[in-house]
Amino acid sequence: MLNWIIDPILKLIYPYIKKNLYKILFGILCMIIVDATQLIVPQVIKQAVDNLDKGPFDTNILFFQCGYILFLGLVMAVLRYGWRNLLMGSARDLENGIRDEIFNHILTLDMAYYNRTKTGDIMAHATSDINHVRMAFGFGLIAIVDTLLLGGATLGIMIWTHPALTALAMIPMPFLVMTTRNLGKKTHTLHKTAQESFSKLTELVRESFFGIRIIKVYNFESIIMNKVEKASKDYFNKNLKRAFVNALLKPLLILFFNLSTLIILFYGGFLVMKEALTPGELVAFLQYLGILAWPVIAIGWMTNLFQRGMASLNRINTLLDSRPEVASPGHPAVLSDLSGRITFKDVSFAYVKDSPVLSNILFDVEPGMSIGITGPPGSGKTSLVQLIPRLYNTTSGKIFLDGHELESLDLNFLRQQIAFMPQESFLFSSTIRDNILMGRYVNRERLDRIIEACCLQETLEKMPKGLDTVVGERGVTLSGGQKQRIALARTLVDEKPIVILDDPVSQVDTHTASKLIAAIHQMNSESSFIIISHRISALASCDRIYILKNGRINYSGSHQELIETSRFYGESFRVQQFEEEKNA
Amino acid sequence: MPETSISMEEKEIKLADLYLAKMLWPFIRPYAFLLGLTTLLVFIVTFFELLMPILTQKAFDGFILPVGPEKGTHLFGFEIISFSNFCILFSVIVLVSFVIDFFQSLLMEYTGQTIILNLRCGLFSHMAFLPVAFYDKNSSGRLVSRVAGDIENMNEMFTNVLIFIFRDLFLMIGVLVILFSINIKLALYLTAMVPVIAISITVFSKILRKAFRTIRQKLAEINHSFSEAITGIKIIQTTSSRDRFMEKFKFLNFEYFSASLFQIRIFSIFMPFIGFMGVLSVAIILWTGSFNVMDKSLTLGELVAFLSYMKLFFRPLRDLSETFNLLQNALASAERIINVFKQEKAKQRALVLRERIDKISHLSLEKVNFSYSEDKPVLKNISFRLPPNRSIGIVGRTGSGKSSIINLITGFYGPGSGTISFNGIDQKSINIEDIRKKTALVMQDPVLFSGTIRENITPSGLDMDPARLEKAVYDANCDFLFEKFSGLDTNIEEEGRPLSSGEKQLVCIARAFAFDPDLIIFDEATSYMDSNSEQKVHDAMKKLMKGRLSIIIAHRLSTVRDCDSILLLRDGRIREQGSHHELIALKGEYYHLLEKEKI
Repeated sequence: MLNWIIDPILKLIYPYIKKNLYKILFGILCMIIVDATQLIVPQVIKQAVDNLDKGPFDTNILFFQCGYILFLGLVMAVLRYGWRNLLMGSARDLENGIRDEIFNHILTLDMAYYNRTKTGDIMAHATSDINHVRMAFGFGLIAIVDTLLLGGATLGIMIWTHPALTALAMIPMPFLVMTTRNLGKKTHTLHKTAQESFSKLTELVRESFFGIRIIKVYNFESIIMNKVEKASKDYFNKNLKRAFVNALLKPLLILFFNLSTLIILFYGGFLVMKEALTPGELVAFLQYLGILAWPVIAIGWMTNLFQRGMASLNRINTLLDSRPEVASPGHPAVLSDLSGRITFKDVSFAYVKDSPVLSNILFDVEPGMSIGITGPPGSGKTSLVQLIPRLYNTTSGKIFLDGHELESLDLNFLRQQIAFMPQESFLFSSTIRDNILMGRYVNRERLDRIIEACCLQETLEKMPKGLDTVVGERGVTLSGGQKQRIALARTLVDEKPIVILDDPVSQVDTHTASKLIAAIHQMNSESSFIIISHRISALASCDRIYILKNGRINYSGSHQELIETSRFYGESFRVQQFEEEKNA
Repeated sequence: MPETSISMEEKEIKLADLYLAKMLWPFIRPYAFLLGLTTLLVFIVTFFELLMPILTQKAFDGFILPVGPEKGTHLFGFEIISFSNFCILFSVIVLVSFVIDFFQSLLMEYTGQTIILNLRCGLFSHMAFLPVAFYDKNSSGRLVSRVAGDIENMNEMFTNVLIFIFRDLFLMIGVLVILFSINIKLALYLTAMVPVIAISITVFSKILRKAFRTIRQKLAEINHSFSEAITGIKIIQTTSSRDRFMEKFKFLNFEYFSASLFQIRIFSIFMPFIGFMGVLSVAIILWTGSFNVMDKSLTLGELVAFLSYMKLFFRPLRDLSETFNLLQNALASAERIINVFKQEKAKQRALVLRERIDKISHLSLEKVNFSYSEDKPVLKNISFRLPPNRSIGIVGRTGSGKSSIINLITGFYGPGSGTISFNGIDQKSINIEDIRKKTALVMQDPVLFSGTIRENITPSGLDMDPARLEKAVYDANCDFLFEKFSGLDTNIEEEGRPLSSGEKQLVCIARAFAFDPDLIIFDEATSYMDSNSEQKVHDAMKKLMKGRLSIIIAHRLSTVRDCDSILLLRDGRIREQGSHHELIALKGEYYHLLEKEKI
């Protein structure tokens, strides 16, 4: 059972404890001294007051006492500075390290993982989960030390002074612990619901502003206002519920604390009257209760923090434990020069068990040959090409590269042999240059050629800083066609034995599309070439064209052959040709 | 707390902020009574809080160690003789203060949240009626954060900040009053420390604010890196650039780490400093107080009481800097919100005689000039006519002014000069809502709101005959809704999921059908669509155009080929105008563009 707690701590937290061991130990030492000093100050004050009470007044003693208090104050200040920096700094170091690990890990995960997991969940691991862990092992640690030392010492003194009075005074304390714990938990869940409602509200406002023209043209203003009002009210209600629980917390704590005071005063007063307790002891008892309040509250708060932290730590651990199905073999086959022959042998593939996307695919790409793939949406074109750089593993059947099974090759080596352009042209928010090069080096001459081949000169000229213009979320917004051409340039940086382009010209006009295709062919004349497109004119020059339907190769042949044999191909061709000619 | 925009404008608290209060007063006024009541309750709660030490003291002086010859004490003018009675009274006071305390917190939350709710709804409805120009000028992210984050910051003010001001400040003032009543001279010594504390808090909160801002920025960047890595994972893996991404991330994460260490350092100076101030004042009071006790100007009991009340004075100080920051944020947000409120709603062009029109039968633009900003004319001398049941196509490059024409016709913007007339009546003298009621717009990015398809086609509130609704759906080629999804009850989520972009556009056309407009405007409705979907959208468009005035804006020439008339726009001027065949015969720009498009 305890594995649930011990394993992840050993694996994730322990290395950081080891790394920061001296800092943590020294920090805890500082805290212990501060706690002890905190208990001394009232004693000094008490002595000073007692001296005053006795009558003859010695300035020297008073001077010494005041000086002592100041000295203690200074020591506390310095040591507090110490433990705050040491302990909280170590907690931040833990946070920093775990975040690095998570980021590093997610870069190695395969597409199958990303398909099963929501982006939001992974993001949550990186943000709120890490935060919970830091809180648990930062503040939690501080609270434990404080509770054990300060609380334990105080309670010890109280029991030593008068066990029965202590026992009675402690009656409300369990309630105090439970209140903090339960209300804290409740607040947390209610806060989460309120936050969800808030996100919905924000999204509603966002889409209203996005569609403001439609709202105005169709006179939807009042309708959308009602919707926003409804969402705001929902948030209001949920937030108020949270506030209700929150509002209960502090008064309840004060209530229990006051009840304890009351018990001490009533029973203690009774004891003093019976002369079973000295008045000084009673006063001390009341003061000790004041000191005890914080550690007791901390127990409830800490358990919540720790529980939440453990749950988060376990989620992070699961993420870090997940191993990609797509991985390099233990002893990869060594290949030096690749000719680029690809063979599909009876390949089937499914994202979800029992709903095959590709069935019994069988084909062969000779080195330097160009292959076109087309077919209706959902016929499995993208899935097919994604198997080659092993973004996914095949479900059954095998794919060979130069006669070597893909799974016997080093993954990095394999991917380095392929220039792959995914269907969605995604740009990182960075400069255009960064987006094209992706950290690779290319000489000026080739870069110019790539830019020319991708018809990017004109686009770049219009950009404020040319190649160094920042694009994406925090930079210039590009059109779909511009993005596509930059993504295409990205695949042309190095000459690779295999080039795979998934629908590379869907967002550029016919004229540019043909120019692009011709230029790419020319730049990779030696490579094996696979291109997916809906546009027949982009495929016409391919040596061989495959038509996929429902995950199977339906027809194959050259452009001319297919026009005659395949109805789909022939019709698409005629419609597209008509579209183009119609303008004449 | 929700993520506010990164470039948060910061603000100093000035006297001029009273102006903000004045502007917000209309929202607060209905709840002034409740706010007054909570303030009153805060007084009572504070009173009880201060009463506790006094009660303890009375228990000692009256019963446990009676000072006088007889037991008993006075409380609120009553004489209490029995210790049990005193304890019962004590318990009652404890319980009552609990109830009042709870009720006060609740009332304050309720009042604050209600004010915020009204403010948010008020702000949104104000914004909904602001002219489109306002939306074009401000990025939508910013506008969203006005309604979301900024209002939420105000919420902080109504809860945390007010609680602080009412509660802690009252407590501190109460403590000071008691301290002064015990001994004026000692209290004056203590107040001498106030400026030191005030200055240090101001300095610390300034530094902290900067630290917090850096932390927020870095965290936003980290989150962005994560989401980007996840979205771009295919590219990262297929270009083998993992190491590079990791390196960049490590650097960023380290920057965040350093910023948070800086913040810890600031706090670890500030917190102990305030603690030390407390100890320092104890030493000072003990030193001077002792001399006072000796010369009999102070009793020993008073000195002890003074020392214990002083603790209460220092307790809220630690939170002061945070409250100060919250207040500043809230005020900055309030200012931004007020700025939105100051924006004028779209003016109804003030004319005494406004003509009503029930049907748009023809449209004409005459010598229309227009510019968004003074020096940059966008449309120059545009004139065209759209007779009944005709269609017009507008083509031209990006930035040629195509969309501006739509902005004028729909009344989103007013023309600089020239006239736009509907049925021969100047647009200026028609109620713009009359025109919009008869106009439908289909844009390049299909706009769908989250909710069901039914709500999107005919928003709740507009009851529509089911047969008519069904016809609209089928006319718009939306059969797929019934085949692939759950028909009209299909739920649309963020960004129009689960529909494809072509399907989304078809739903937008269904909306236009259901609306039964006289004038229909397509603004690049089929850009960037695969040819299959494009065909379907075109087909639906054609059906919709039948028997209506229509304007089609496109950059692809084939889209407008069948229009009765085509305008070719360049640099804000109409360069060529005529039917497809006329323009071809002209062998001008249109002809050349066509040749280029053809390969």
